[in-house]
Amino acid sequence: MSAFVRLLRVELLRLVRRRAVLVLLVGAVAVPVVMGVAVTLNTRPPSAAAVADAERQVEQELQSSWYAESRAQCTENPSEFGIDSTDAGEIERQCTQQLEPTIDSYLWHQELSLASESTEGTGVALVVILALLMMVLGTTFTGHDWASGSVSNQLLFEPRRVRVWGAKAIVVTGSALVLSGVLLSAYWIGLNAVAASRDLPSGGAVLVDCLQMGGRGAGVVAAAALCGFALTMLFRSTVATLGILFGVALVGGVVLAVLGVSGRFDPALNTLAVVADGATYYVDAPCPPEQGIDLEGGYCSEERTLSFAAGAAYTGTAVGASALLSVLWFRRRDVP
Amino acid sequence: MSDLVIETTGLRKEFRTVRGGQRVAVQSLDLAVPAGGGVHGFLGPNGSGKTTTIRMLLGLARPTRGTMRLFGQPVPERLPHVIDRVGAVVESPKFAPNFSGRLNLQLLSDAIGAPRGRVDEALETVQLGGRDRDRYKSYSLGMKQRLAIAATLLKRPDLLILDEPTNGLDPAGIREIRETIRGLGEAGVTVLLSSHILAEVQQVCTSATIIGNGRLLASGRVDDLLGTTTAHRVVVADPERAQAVLRDAGLSVTVVPGDPGPEHPEIRVETEDAARITQVLGGAGLWLSELTPLRPDLETFFLALTDAERLGADR
Repeated sequence: MSAFVRLLRVELLRLVRRRAVLVLLVGAVAVPVVMGVAVTLNTRPPSAAAVADAERQVEQELQSSWYAESRAQCTENPSEFGIDSTDAGEIERQCTQQLEPTIDSYLWHQELSLASESTEGTGVALVVILALLMMVLGTTFTGHDWASGSVSNQLLFEPRRVRVWGAKAIVVTGSALVLSGVLLSAYWIGLNAVAASRDLPSGGAVLVDCLQMGGRGAGVVAAAALCGFALTMLFRSTVATLGILFGVALVGGVVLAVLGVSGRFDPALNTLAVVADGATYYVDAPCPPEQGIDLEGGYCSEERTLSFAAGAAYTGTAVGASALLSVLWFRRRDVP
Repeated sequence: MSDLVIETTGLRKEFRTVRGGQRVAVQSLDLAVPAGGGVHGFLGPNGSGKTTTIRMLLGLARPTRGTMRLFGQPVPERLPHVIDRVGAVVESPKFAPNFSGRLNLQLLSDAIGAPRGRVDEALETVQLGGRDRDRYKSYSLGMKQRLAIAATLLKRPDLLILDEPTNGLDPAGIREIRETIRGLGEAGVTVLLSSHILAEVQQVCTSATIIGNGRLLASGRVDDLLGTTTAHRVVVADPERAQAVLRDAGLSVTVVPGDPGPEHPEIRVETEDAARITQVLGGAGLWLSELTPLRPDLETFFLALTDAERLGADR
């Protein structure tokens, strides 16, 4: 077994034997399970009793004097109900459409849609939570080494610092990538099975889209873990790293806006573009004449799209630069 | 092949201070520790640069200037090629606090590909076998020190660098560590022992280097550093007559109060020749109760050197 493979094994063992890491791993498994259960329960079809109750309420409303009066008013004065037509049949149809109660009016029900879950539902939220957990994992893994001073002890057994950095980075990034890949895939396969059991659109292209989104998400989670690790090797402090990372994540966009920097460079937007295969953002631009707005020097909000490639390039450059700075600094600086 | 296990030439280390100034921790240090086993003391007051020198030798700190060699190989360039022959404890023991002592050693052992049984052997050597599965943070300071020494033994080193290895140990622990170090030295391992406890160093070291303010003050075999015996303490039943007889024989004599009190004076005779003293006193019918060679101890020698260095630095 080569020295580097031995080092990888040691770092993997060091990672999985850390209690804080185990807690984070359990959390990472629990989050998609809880979210999946919540989505399944929130979108479950209404029970027979609920349907019967809704039908009873619809029947009651149809029999009510209020409904009869409203239908009469609509037929007599359709313009008050926004109906322009003069055709009696059309007026009747639109009045029915507007006023006739339906079961859905009494039975609120959200249907499971894999497509909307992946683009605007729990999919992005799950990736963000996993990314935060793995970022903390990368940070605490090496922060613990610095806090205990055991880094210097490790270097007395393997003085090639780039190798030590590399082994730790591979273990942290690889663990985050594999774990999040498995969890996100399991999440989408699980929801797909639920959708299939309810005869909703599932499988095929829908599932492939979700799994691709999971793959992109796993990449973002792994990058977050690497970023947490690299910055902790740079700052040699868990607290400092977490403070900076959460600061960037939470107020980075606000600071950029205050400084007048385009939203194009917002870290959160770029990350979203990677996960969701593109994201929209808004910039101030001169109002186009066709809008009929004539404000001297005035600006309108213009929608723009940030592609996956642009987001990946931005995120990759930021993480890569952090990693490069970290490894160079670790190679050069004295170790306490 | 060099016959020195450690060799530094013109070694210098500067640190930047918070205010942008510069502090020199080690300056122009030429250190030479011979191969072939034995214990070499590395002495100096606090802040004299001992730990910084050790950290530079082990690649934990970069020298500002100068060259270093371990087993004849330039370091830090060739450190990976010789590190398997070097065991070291630098300052306090540093292990993962929530891992057991055994797991800490296992991780280090696996990193160098040592055989499985090596961890058991090392734990047995430092007598930590009964507590090896307890968390490191539950260990006493002495147990932590012993674990650190066990870690150095995982490599079966030819050179052992120990920085204050008996810190925090009780007298029994100090004695155990001292015996371990002496045993390793006798078994052919070269030990560089950095310590404040000069009596301890004198007991186990065959050679020593003394530094002060980052500079080399003295280096060599301990016997050579302390010099030869130049006087003897004499205890006899009739000290007044003994003085007269010795003076008549041409020897320089002074009287000092004895250990029990001034009523039992002792005689200090300024000569290296113990046989001459016994011959003169025996010839006069005076029989010796005690005859002790007087030599400067390491502490006296060390304090004289470091005081002179401090005075020089103050001027």
